[in-house]
Amino acid sequence: MDLLNIEYEKYKLKNGLEVILHKDDNLPLVAVNLWYRVGSANEKQGGTGMAHLFEHMMFQGSENIPKEMHFKYIQEAGGSLNGSTNFDRTNYYEKLPSNFLELALWLESDRMGFFLQALTQEKLDNQKSVVINERLERYDNQPYGLAWEILLSNLYPLYHPYSWPTIGLIDDISRFTLDEVSAFFKRYYSPSNASVTVAGNFDEKFVKENIEKYFSEIPDSIERVEINSSSVKLESEKLITREENVQLERIYLAWSSEKAYGNDDAALDILADILSGSKNSRLYKNLVYEKELAQDVSAYHYSGKLAGHFMIIATVKKEKSPDTIKDEIFKELGMIEKNGITERELKKTKNNIRSGFIFSLQNLDAMANQLNYYNYFLNEPNSFNYDLNRYNMVTIDKIKSVTNDYFSKPYIELRVKPKK
Amino acid sequence: MSLEVIRNKKPPRLRKIKFNLPEVIKFKLDNNLQVYFIQKSTLPLLSMSLVTEAGSKYDPAGKKGLTNLLAMAVDEGAGDYDSLQLSDQFEILGASFSISCDQDSVYFSLQVLKDEFERGLELFSTILIDSHLYEADLSREKRKIKTRILQTSDEADEIANEVFEYKLFGNNNPYAYPTIGYSDDIDSISLQDIKDFYNHFIVPENSFLVVTGDYETESLKNILNKYFRTWSRSSITKPRITDADIEQPGLYIIDKKDSVQSEIRTGLISYKRNDYDFYARSILNLILGGQFSSRLNLNLREHKGFTYGVYSRFIYLMSSAYLFVSTSVSSENTGAALTEIFKEIKKIRNGITKKELEFAKSSLIRKFPSSFESYRQIASNVIGQIIHTMPEDYFETYIDEIKKVTRERIIKAAEDNLFPDKLTTVIVGSKEKTAAQLKDIYQGEIIELDEKGSSLQSL
Repeated sequence: MDLLNIEYEKYKLKNGLEVILHKDDNLPLVAVNLWYRVGSANEKQGGTGMAHLFEHMMFQGSENIPKEMHFKYIQEAGGSLNGSTNFDRTNYYEKLPSNFLELALWLESDRMGFFLQALTQEKLDNQKSVVINERLERYDNQPYGLAWEILLSNLYPLYHPYSWPTIGLIDDISRFTLDEVSAFFKRYYSPSNASVTVAGNFDEKFVKENIEKYFSEIPDSIERVEINSSSVKLESEKLITREENVQLERIYLAWSSEKAYGNDDAALDILADILSGSKNSRLYKNLVYEKELAQDVSAYHYSGKLAGHFMIIATVKKEKSPDTIKDEIFKELGMIEKNGITERELKKTKNNIRSGFIFSLQNLDAMANQLNYYNYFLNEPNSFNYDLNRYNMVTIDKIKSVTNDYFSKPYIELRVKPKK
Repeated sequence: MSLEVIRNKKPPRLRKIKFNLPEVIKFKLDNNLQVYFIQKSTLPLLSMSLVTEAGSKYDPAGKKGLTNLLAMAVDEGAGDYDSLQLSDQFEILGASFSISCDQDSVYFSLQVLKDEFERGLELFSTILIDSHLYEADLSREKRKIKTRILQTSDEADEIANEVFEYKLFGNNNPYAYPTIGYSDDIDSISLQDIKDFYNHFIVPENSFLVVTGDYETESLKNILNKYFRTWSRSSITKPRITDADIEQPGLYIIDKKDSVQSEIRTGLISYKRNDYDFYARSILNLILGGQFSSRLNLNLREHKGFTYGVYSRFIYLMSSAYLFVSTSVSSENTGAALTEIFKEIKKIRNGITKKELEFAKSSLIRKFPSSFESYRQIASNVIGQIIHTMPEDYFETYIDEIKKVTRERIIKAAEDNLFPDKLTTVIVGSKEKTAAQLKDIYQGEIIELDEKGSSLQSL
């Protein structure tokens, strides 16, 4: 039995909506998951945060669904639901008892096709306020909460679509008008810019008929806007310091890296795990366990549709030196570049990735989202084995060469220091 | 094959679904460890949790943080392996192993592919039977914890949670203290204290094991016996935890300069999970603040736009319980948001509508199957049932019990559990921006506390 060979069916409606179906009868549950190919990368400087604010607006009702009822209908059916926005896409999802599948299709199609009819200034004002509070709670009022956006805006060129945070800047969020929200919907929320995945316990004929019934009459708009993204090439190193009400200094190092599914993407993921993914990882063992210079350390590789970045972050213990930590980080990178890593290290990371894949099959909603993810990036929903194989193909030499290629280049350094 | 689409009416549900509750098989090991096994063969993996009633409620005075320190130190070397080697052995299996603790228990958890289960189990049992507990490892973990405590003073949400429990329970109750402990206390915990605690509390008689996964029952029994056989230490007598009876209602503020939001926590002591109508309280809470469409969230978020979200729940501990309302609001709306929270708590004592009751019942009943989806969810349901000594047929009767709840029972639950004048409220935010607002809306005394909950002054 090949666990990771996921059976599915994929087709397109006449209006361009992609449909992906995956049957799983283990439990009487069904997951519905929609991806719209729009994220904060579709915004511009001065208009940041629209994609995410728009995600909020999608829960404010549509022509046949009064405000508050989207949540109520799903919850009354015993379902769970949410949405999320990142650089590249916005998703909406619900998981509910399988006999309520039609309810989800009705709700999703109503906001895909008949959203504008229910849009009001009052709803927009309310959700702007909610989103600004979200930003305050998750970023502005958190220690080190603004580090991320400082790093992005320095690592990416000013007009690169990854140079601002998905949540947006408060000034931009407060300025959005009703017209801009409408225009955003018309431009990006058309069927041919979306894919819907249904995973779980369903009758095939029933699900196909109902997807056709609810979605096929939604007209496709023809506007298609390509994102202009310049290449990311940092010309010189940059050190940024910032003072905050924190007890401990934190040091951030950020390099531009590789986009999702690029040649070096998998090797950089593995490198991140080798550096900080476990107690025996290079940086954890050195900085946290043995020398106790840092309270924590994490290496992190993010790869999106347009670009990627690699970050190493360490919290400096009291009376320890951030400069020493930085030296140790570069020493470890240098050692990997020179001597590579051990067979055992590589095997541990690969085993960890493989069991992660299998553990992730426990949840239907995670499965539905993953099918959409692979469809978006690879145009092939059943890419679990392909993806895992990418990691299995990575060799010690490859790890050496990516370490050399990426970490000898200029980087951004941010230090958040305690206020004196 | 095109069907006619009707958009202005909610579509009907299909025929009723069938849901089979997972069967829980119970047996005891040779060393008396009670095992609960849920066979599930959809994936080749096993998930295992050992729960030991050795939570921070047993931390002695002056040694707050003992349990947490043990949980951190117990896998820093065991049997033939030192700390790094032991971790390495788990890593090569692709297993995820972790230890955590709360006020009541310590949890040892393992999730592993079936092929690697036996090896994972062997390592797991070594930690229970033969943990090293060396001085050097303990000292390192102490330094890590003390730094973590230092960091929490940056985090308004953490401060709010800790001080809320401290003021709620009062300093004579063991539930008042944070599991992570206090820095000075941690310094005074000796290696012998840790060893005594390990030998005394981490024993089969004080634990139970929940296993979910792809295994045959008899084989599981054999393999568990094989590795747990030598885990047996003398049985224990536990100190008695007194029920919480001290209430310190009032409004407390902790000044966090430069805050742009206020963290709000409010609530009061309630009955234990199995000491009062659990089903009526579940519905009551669902309507008050238990999910997105609750009264609190619709009011504070969807109407007023004060917050990203607000929720309430009954937190059930083994020897106590409390109502907990939590939110974070922009500084300028602190007074107004708190007024609305108080208002909703008061208002729900007048009752709920028939529609609200139907909605809540429908939601809870229909959600039930999805709470048995992942291996860990199943285990955590079983753990909850055992910890709170819910009846044997709790899961079998759950849906019927929810169906039976009436509006009268909800009103009674509100009257017996929600007392607006007995609320303990903690605000963490900018005193400069919020003090005047709070004085405007609150009749009683407002007391400023430090980050540990000690009184500074009356405002």
